[in-house]
Amino acid sequence: MVNITKALFASGGLLLLAILPVFFHSDPYIMGVLTLCLIWSMVAASWDLIVGYASVFAFAHLAFFVIGGYTSATLAVYAGVSPWIGMPVGGIVCASLGFLIGIPCLRLSGMYMGMVTFSIQFVLPTVIVWAGPGRFLNFSTGGSFGLHRIPPIEILGQAFSKAELVPSYYLAFAFFLVFIVGIYGVIRSRIGLAFVTIRDAENLAKSIGVDERKYKLMAFAISAFVAGAVGGFYAHYYGTISPALLSLDAFLLAFMMVLLGGLGVFPGAVLGAFSVTILNELLRPALLWRYIILGVIVIVTMITVPEGLMGIPALVRGRLSALRSTGLIGRRGDAAQDR
Amino acid sequence: MNLESFANMFVAGITLGAIYLLMAIGLTLVFGITKVLNYAQGSFFTWGGYLTWILTTKYVQWGYPVVIPIVMLVAFCAGILFERVIVRPLRRFSGWETTAIIVTLGCALVLDNLALVLFDPLSKTIPNLMEGAFRFGGLSIAKHNAIMIVITIAVLVLLWLFLEKTRVGMGLRAVSQDITGARIVGLPVDRLYGYSFGICTALAALAAILLIPRTLLYPLVGWTTLLKAFVVIVLGGLGNIKGTLIAAFMLGQAEIFITYYVGGMWALPIFLVLLVATLAISPKGLFGRW
Repeated sequence: MVNITKALFASGGLLLLAILPVFFHSDPYIMGVLTLCLIWSMVAASWDLIVGYASVFAFAHLAFFVIGGYTSATLAVYAGVSPWIGMPVGGIVCASLGFLIGIPCLRLSGMYMGMVTFSIQFVLPTVIVWAGPGRFLNFSTGGSFGLHRIPPIEILGQAFSKAELVPSYYLAFAFFLVFIVGIYGVIRSRIGLAFVTIRDAENLAKSIGVDERKYKLMAFAISAFVAGAVGGFYAHYYGTISPALLSLDAFLLAFMMVLLGGLGVFPGAVLGAFSVTILNELLRPALLWRYIILGVIVIVTMITVPEGLMGIPALVRGRLSALRSTGLIGRRGDAAQDR
Repeated sequence: MNLESFANMFVAGITLGAIYLLMAIGLTLVFGITKVLNYAQGSFFTWGGYLTWILTTKYVQWGYPVVIPIVMLVAFCAGILFERVIVRPLRRFSGWETTAIIVTLGCALVLDNLALVLFDPLSKTIPNLMEGAFRFGGLSIAKHNAIMIVITIAVLVLLWLFLEKTRVGMGLRAVSQDITGARIVGLPVDRLYGYSFGICTALAALAAILLIPRTLLYPLVGWTTLLKAFVVIVLGGLGNIKGTLIAAFMLGQAEIFITYYVGGMWALPIFLVLLVATLAISPKGLFGRW
């Protein structure tokens, strides 16, 4: 019964995403925001895979996104490599980096790992600026201004750049389907089962011989691969990429997507990505006050609904049943125990 | 490099180490007691700097003997308020440690951007604690640096005495060791949580007063210091005070020499590489003992 409801919701959501351009195809702003929503959904869902499911505090996710973008972009700009090769290469580079970073970091416990991986994101801009113009003979990251004129992805002469609104949206949607279904597949597979067992019952997992280290390294590699490949798509779609993506507010926005949807609850990250991206766009007129308002919204939301959007039905249900059975106010803890 | 500049750099390294130590001890104290990793600590550092700028340069020109207690007191109260308004409501839920990360990050975003809106992005300077230099034969050491070391040592000794000898300090240690036990014997856990945040922010503000005269003041100034404090904590072995002490002074020295030979912006990247390499060899940091 529940599965049928879920399937209905999922297919309804996908259908809605598929037909949205019919209504908005003439509005470049809305189409741009929708495409951005799809891109961030993939980033957030892959981040949720490692933080929410594998319960690894890996905070270098945006760093992978940017590394993947730069890899594919520099290959295309300086070596004329097709984005169709550049994007998977970016993904593989990130997966290997994720693996390499994972080995020492997994020796740390939760929060401390968070500190180290968080620092990685803040160190990366230094490296990108250093490898700017004039450092190497025939290669440059463009320094702090970023890399521009990155060629768009092409299929049979059709370019998918920022100017081609509807085709780009559908290409993003195709990637979205591939990666989201892929991530869902991982979650439902033995790997995902291992993640959840380690997360929810660590001692049981150990006793039945689940190799925690192996699975957590896998989580690092898989999530970094998705982030890197999507980063490539982002770079080719916008035609530009810069270290500004590694700022604190970008980190906060992206992490908010994961948490707002609900940590480790499958389509939560996608919902979170759409909500946060649209909210961020709505706040654009607030100028300098935008991040202050956004920060306050983040704080208030997390204090009031820490389980995220996906936790609201359970929260409401818990409230209702508690009200019905006792006539007293429901306990806030109910939602947490449902997970 | 002659002997004099070497000596100066050595002293500068010790003072930097002292700053990182202040930040790192504040962070570990709060983490040990409340299990919150306070990402907003860097922004409290920044605001400590701005408050000092307001009191010494912008609106009034008060001397440091007055300014330091005021700023630390304000920071202490701000920390208690922060715990009361932001952190305490979170503790009702299970799995709140993750939520606490994003909430403290959100506070950092608000505080940093508030500084940007209120004080514009241009860099400010605040005066040294004392101008001039002490001379020892051929060597000269900036008075600011010398006072910085004295103040840091004094504060650390006071903090140690507070934690060892006073009832509140003992309560704090008890909570960090065994929260359930602390509750059973009737310690006011909520109030102790508040004190730990207050001490943490006061230390951050002090670190800002000591460090910012040597650098510049801008809305994101706290972040690099915070990240370096992270490195110090992990490198020193988690929750190991002696290790943290040694790691702070090692990294302080390292940073001065990295700045001299390679450039200041490489300090944090090199720290991270050192940290990851250390963890790969010795997973508990340099002096860890879990």
